[in-house]
Amino acid sequence: MSGFRVAMDIGGTFTDAVAYDESTGQYSAGKASTTPGELSVGVRRAMGNVVQDLAEVSFAVHGTTQGLNAFLQRRGERVLLIASAGAGDVYQIARGNRTELYQVRYRKPQPLVTRSDTVEVRGRLDPSGREVAPLCPEDVVAAARKFRDGGYSSVAVALLFSYERPDHELQVFEVLRRELGDDVSISLSHRLAREWREYERTSTTVLDAYTAPIVRTYLEELSAGLETDGMSVPLHVMQSSGGIITARSAHDHTIQTLLSGPVGGAMGGVSLARLTGQKNLICVDMGGTSFDVSLIVDGSADVSTEASLEGFPLLMPVVNIHTIGAGGGSVAYLEAGGLRVGPRSAGASPGPACYSRGGTEPTVTDANVALGRVDPSEFAGGEFALDVGAAHSALADLGAHLGLDAQSTAQGILDVVNAKMAQAIRTLTVEKGIEPRDYSLVAFGGAGPMHAAFLAEELGIDQMLVPRFPGAFSAWGMLETQLRRDSARGFPFPHATADLEALKSAFAEMGEELRSQIESEGVDTESVVLHHAIDARYIGQEYTLTIPAGSLEQLSHSDWRTRMKTAFDSAHQSRFGHSNSSAPIEFVIARTTGFGDLGRAEPSPLEQSPSGSDSESRPVRFGATIHDTPLVRRAELAPRSRMHGPLIISEATATTVIPPGWRLEVDGYGVLLAARVDEDPEESTQP
Amino acid sequence: MSSPVNPVTVEIIRNALIAVADEMNATLIRSAYTPIIYEMKDCSVALLDAHHRVLGQSAGLPIFLGNLEACTIAIEERYGREVWAPGDVWIMNDPYVTGTHLHDMTVMEPIFDSFELLGFAASRAHWLDVGSKDPGGTIDSTDVFQEGLRLAPVKIVEGGVQIAPLTEAIGRNSRFYHGAIGDLGAQIACCHTGAKRLPEIFRRFGPQTVLDARDEIFAQAERLERAFIAAIPDGVYRAQGTIDSDGINPVEVAVKVEVVIDGEEMVIDLSESDDACTGPVNCGATQAVAAARVAYKLLVDPHRPANGGSFRPLKVEVRDGSVVGAIEPHPVEWYFTPLGLLIDLVVKALSEAVPERAAAASYGDSMVIFLSGINPESKQPWLHVEPTVGGWGAWDGSDGEDGLINNVNGSLKDMPIEVLETKYPLRLRHYGYRSDSCGHGEFRGGVGVEREFEILEDASMSTWFERSCTPAWGLAGGWTAQPPDVVLNPGGPDERHLLKCANVRLSKGDVVRTKTGGGGGFGEPAARDRDAVRADVADGLISPYVGRQIYGLETEPNQDSHE
Repeated sequence: MSGFRVAMDIGGTFTDAVAYDESTGQYSAGKASTTPGELSVGVRRAMGNVVQDLAEVSFAVHGTTQGLNAFLQRRGERVLLIASAGAGDVYQIARGNRTELYQVRYRKPQPLVTRSDTVEVRGRLDPSGREVAPLCPEDVVAAARKFRDGGYSSVAVALLFSYERPDHELQVFEVLRRELGDDVSISLSHRLAREWREYERTSTTVLDAYTAPIVRTYLEELSAGLETDGMSVPLHVMQSSGGIITARSAHDHTIQTLLSGPVGGAMGGVSLARLTGQKNLICVDMGGTSFDVSLIVDGSADVSTEASLEGFPLLMPVVNIHTIGAGGGSVAYLEAGGLRVGPRSAGASPGPACYSRGGTEPTVTDANVALGRVDPSEFAGGEFALDVGAAHSALADLGAHLGLDAQSTAQGILDVVNAKMAQAIRTLTVEKGIEPRDYSLVAFGGAGPMHAAFLAEELGIDQMLVPRFPGAFSAWGMLETQLRRDSARGFPFPHATADLEALKSAFAEMGEELRSQIESEGVDTESVVLHHAIDARYIGQEYTLTIPAGSLEQLSHSDWRTRMKTAFDSAHQSRFGHSNSSAPIEFVIARTTGFGDLGRAEPSPLEQSPSGSDSESRPVRFGATIHDTPLVRRAELAPRSRMHGPLIISEATATTVIPPGWRLEVDGYGVLLAARVDEDPEESTQP
Repeated sequence: MSSPVNPVTVEIIRNALIAVADEMNATLIRSAYTPIIYEMKDCSVALLDAHHRVLGQSAGLPIFLGNLEACTIAIEERYGREVWAPGDVWIMNDPYVTGTHLHDMTVMEPIFDSFELLGFAASRAHWLDVGSKDPGGTIDSTDVFQEGLRLAPVKIVEGGVQIAPLTEAIGRNSRFYHGAIGDLGAQIACCHTGAKRLPEIFRRFGPQTVLDARDEIFAQAERLERAFIAAIPDGVYRAQGTIDSDGINPVEVAVKVEVVIDGEEMVIDLSESDDACTGPVNCGATQAVAAARVAYKLLVDPHRPANGGSFRPLKVEVRDGSVVGAIEPHPVEWYFTPLGLLIDLVVKALSEAVPERAAAASYGDSMVIFLSGINPESKQPWLHVEPTVGGWGAWDGSDGEDGLINNVNGSLKDMPIEVLETKYPLRLRHYGYRSDSCGHGEFRGGVGVEREFEILEDASMSTWFERSCTPAWGLAGGWTAQPPDVVLNPGGPDERHLLKCANVRLSKGDVVRTKTGGGGGFGEPAARDRDAVRADVADGLISPYVGRQIYGLETEPNQDSHE
């Protein structure tokens, strides 16, 4: 039966929905205002805007911000932390590092549980899992009493070496269940992150305990609501890893959904790579006040095995999204007689001068408005009108101090901020060992397509892509993902002497676990794919690289060790720029990932639509020159049409700027492909 | 204040130069072999102009701030300006030029475009081992020759070709050959990044535009700093403190700071500090200047990156032959011990003049424990070296941070218990906050930590715990914090206190308890918010006794306090 595949993504202002019609192969997008306090209302409305009858929905996926919001606003559960005797302060000390070096007034992020919310229990394992001291049940009973008396609502349990042997944590769990009953939320560290490093594991467990009950309640409400609306298929949830799980299994792995929203954009990059055949992409998501960058390398998202949230580490697979402190809200100001743009941001309030919310300093958005690159009546889908005059006078005031008129000041602000954003991207790629010239730029978010061509020029990139629905690209990306589950085990042994039979059984055990989990989500056994990998490093190093370990059969081959060493050296060479074939390596953590195929949307080429004939145009300044620039509605661009810059293309959620020296091609699927034709473009920054 | 260059172009060039330094730093961190570089950030990079002035610098380890140019200047003074040639890279670690210790290798490359010298790319990074008499460094060296390989400036790359015999000779002087060669490669790659990017900027904007913009960029930095200093009341401000000993002799060593503010200019005079010591606590003048600049920057302009216009209003006076003006052959392994104190003292001296940026003192030094032995099965040596976190100072408006790494250790993280016990025959029986170790006050200092190691196989221990004679002081009526302590077999018949020791033999079953000090308090304890005192007692950070006696907290009969 054909129907609709639907994705819903919650943003700060709007909740986006994108639907794929399986009978026509076409997409549609819609949105509704986000409804803070009761997010599921906005989600159901947005969904209703793209699908008339929810009974026709064949697949639904959702990126939720419920847990993240609870964390960001510190509205989470009251958590009691149970730790090993002698190590209760590990969570407070937080490894004792600082992230600002020139600061005598440094404070660590305030922990989510205090010292008095922490209970130490006796019982100790050694690194091999051997019991040094048995678990003391009386201490757990005392902790349960504290839970009842202290008004706690959730428990986090993180004991030393539980990744090696979970027995003590399981004993704690049994006692707590007996004492507190079945309804209390209990998070066990070895179930969430079976990896060494007690602070990082504890932090992950505390974050789960802090947010999971809230997310569970939300997903239950939403699922029930959608069922009431007529939907008969299970709801899926985006995970931070870029894969999805059913809402039902998110119940036990809630923490994995914490960063699910922004990940959709990166997964959209993966789909775009598949659709266009361009496998190396730098994805730029620029909103009114934010600027996020993600990388697609050889068709895959760039996934890390851990992440950090406001300074709190999380041991879980996460698609890397890099937030850069320059964007539409960056303020331009004077300092010591010089011009500065950012990192100070006007945010949404008071916002840019043109928002008329009390902002008087010019921002990047004001510069775009003053130069005619934004249609003031179409901004944010026409939700509110922009005050062009306010932008102008803010720019003129600043320019008077610099000897520049308002227009030159606006152009100058854009030149500075584009150069800064490009430099931030370049530094990021250098850290990853990537040359930006080998990549294409993908621009989305409301403001991304407005700046992307200039960023590309700064980075020496010749190709830029603007997907359909650039404002709802995250939702679009979610439609395309696979079911994914992850598991990990500590395996700290030297490469030369590690017991490969033990490694094989660790992989086999994790594989079985994941296979049955994925099957229980309604996926065919045949379609489950397992990937085994191992984190390794040169002995003496701290950082590891995750190296694919091949199949279990390959593990039995006599040359497996040699092949792993060669693979490690070559990964090290490409990531770090050097390698050492004579230096020994060691293993650290074994990882297995299971993927289950849920089918995907296969887009059909768009129907030819009539090209807009009554082309309007407007004088727009590029560099030092004013060009008469055609204004085009995106809906009026015919597939496979070609045009030359300068061009301004507007649609409900975004504005795309194609400068002089670029040509535009619209592909069969409606993706804008822009390329530089001029090898040596006009130097926009020369006075 | 008008520059011949458009202000937009000036700002783009300013950001581009900073970005080159950031990119050099990213290259170094990405390719470095040892965690000291990529995690402790015990490294620094700078992009210099043809006159050795800083065009861009990454915010690496603060005490490396603004002194890489001393190395390129030293080479030019010795061999003349014509010594610079395209494709060459130089290396040196002579502490009497660099100011630091032998671990810190400085690698630098002249930058040319069409045979015209545009500037220099330089990097400095801490190497794990440079062949000192003891593994990883010395506690009790009495001259520089015991501390390892000392390199006068020498070319490691000539005409684009790395000199293999010299590379090999340097590698074989380290106990960690692969680490040394790897880190050298990373530093060369870092310099190449700068040497590639700077000419691109000159070509894009034109040489004269870049030079004019540079002058304006320097002028902007100088204007900002002069305006800030002008706002500080004129006067002479002093502070002094001592380090416990030089590691050999039980003598306190005084560091004395005099700060003179005169209009828009500042002088930091260190010349009254004690003479150089027998043990390895001396540092070269270059590094004393750098530390004075760090203190200046903390107070004057902590957030903006430094450039060639920074520090122009600052003059630093150092006396050769003093503990901060080391000359050959003074031992310098622990050069940063007086510098950490020096930075705190400058902040203290100016705490009343610049109250909005000051804080009470932190626990101070690195508080390092070295534990080593031989694995009885594999016969392989093992070595665990770790600095210890402690409390930082309070300020007007906030408590100091608890259990935080000291200022000369960058962003170092402590080693997880699970990693420590997996790698070494040690059990960390306890790691937690040390109650009542803070300096009390309206805002209390941070607390230090206690760690208790059980020794599971025979081993050897060295320690370097400092600041027991000058523990973290308070400000504005805030109290001084508790000093550090190291106890071997506490409570046993053979209990010993060992703040500093070299190669003490330990047997299986021995217990070592280390304690670090807290940070100083701010304001009178009696003025502390009652709820804050109650929360500290509930959290066990201060005892009920201290709550009553020092803070005057009424006891609540039903309080279920910690034992």
